[in-house]
Amino acid sequence: MGNEQKDTKVLNNLLKVFLSLRTAIWLLMALLCLLLYGAVVMPANEEFLALHTAPLFQWITESPPGITWWLWAAIGVLSLLTANTLLCSIESVVKKKSARQWMLVMAPQVAHIGFLFILLAHLVSGYGSFKGTAVVYENAGLRLPNGNDVLFRKIDVDMDSAGYMKDWAVYVEYFKDGRSLGSDRILPNSPSLQDGLGIFIKNIRFLPYPVAMIEVCKEPGAVWALTGGILFMAGMMTLLFYKIKKEEAKGV
Amino acid sequence: MPINPVFIVILSAALYIFGYYRMPFVYGGFFLQLAYMVLRGIDLGRLPLIGPHDTLFFLSASFMLFGIPVSLSLESRQRFLNPVTAITVCFMLLAMLARPHNYPLPPVLKTFWFEVHVAFSFFSYALFGLAAVLGALYLISRDEESEILQYKMVLVGYFLFSLAMILGGIWAYYAWGTYWLWTPKELWTVILWLFYSFYLHARLRQWWAGRPAAILGIAGFGIVMFTYLGVSLLMKSSHTF
Repeated sequence: MGNEQKDTKVLNNLLKVFLSLRTAIWLLMALLCLLLYGAVVMPANEEFLALHTAPLFQWITESPPGITWWLWAAIGVLSLLTANTLLCSIESVVKKKSARQWMLVMAPQVAHIGFLFILLAHLVSGYGSFKGTAVVYENAGLRLPNGNDVLFRKIDVDMDSAGYMKDWAVYVEYFKDGRSLGSDRILPNSPSLQDGLGIFIKNIRFLPYPVAMIEVCKEPGAVWALTGGILFMAGMMTLLFYKIKKEEAKGV
Repeated sequence: MPINPVFIVILSAALYIFGYYRMPFVYGGFFLQLAYMVLRGIDLGRLPLIGPHDTLFFLSASFMLFGIPVSLSLESRQRFLNPVTAITVCFMLLAMLARPHNYPLPPVLKTFWFEVHVAFSFFSYALFGLAAVLGALYLISRDEESEILQYKMVLVGYFLFSLAMILGGIWAYYAWGTYWLWTPKELWTVILWLFYSFYLHARLRQWWAGRPAAILGIAGFGIVMFTYLGVSLLMKSSHTF
């Protein structure tokens, strides 16, 4: 057998491996084992407390491999799973394109694509996310990473008679080169989003004077995660609908 | 009006126990559970979904919410409903060991996203629990109907659990600026989701159908319980109950 034929045979075998449901099952099992190990290791190592403060890939490259090897391995397995999912989905669509119940064929593939978008979201956030915290008082100003300035005009807190915080609001105004870009109001579950950055309130105290702990975040993967979530649910809903329809047809 | 939960719970448990002999008592027990949750919700001015007391009670009611209609589709209803009733009563009594959380909600929890995220999470836990019961019934009796129904419970539970995760991510983004946090709860949630992804894919292969799938369905509920109770009780997480 010539070298070219050998190469083709190797490629064909590799393709067969990736076009296999059995491969997906093994990869899922491997991923589960790695994450189960990680679930034990994470609470036992203080280094993981810093995982929230930096993008994933920055943290993982700066942390000791002795405690992060499982995360590297999980990323590797996810890469293989991505290839497996993509190839299996393409093969399924191509092979069954003339199937009668085409929606039943497409629905799981749409869910798979949704899953891949969510993985992409984590990849994008793993490189490009940003988090910075600060403590601000009323009329305090901050320079944001995008070059804009933000002024925290007012911190309002609504307390009930028992001293519990019922609600709060923080009023901000954005500036660039001394010129106002507009104002905004930060409420619980309603951050101020401006120019790719979000300002979130982590904690608020009113006594003896209003002070807020804020976090400035950039989460570039958020849109991809939402897109992936919508696609995944659309695929799952369609799959469930057609499976129920098939059941009812059997019962008739 | 202060509600004495003990009276309602004892009456509900008693009705469930009578349900072993006559099915309508099960409906009565479930109605009382719902009534308690509605009254508690009216008293609090919100859905009672915070803390071990409320969440255990909600989970217990969810077992019956799905268990009753599933039992109606089975030939031998009592055989399925008896263990489900037992689980429901167990969780209800466990709920009574925890003090109800009667404090006002912190502002960050006063959102539609939080309520639907929690509700769908517990609906899915209940469906995974029912799947475990069906798996156990299959192992005892080798009844194929149980194993097929287990698969259906897992599929619907997986759908709701995925939805709960996505809604949780949306809420987390609005509340904390990120759709993902590396906390024990989130990690175990992913482990649970991957486990059932593994179940659903494995079951497509002939070798995994039947006894292996039934065992997986039972093991999955063990992971559910650790994700819900184990992480909340044993680990520090922003997600405590």
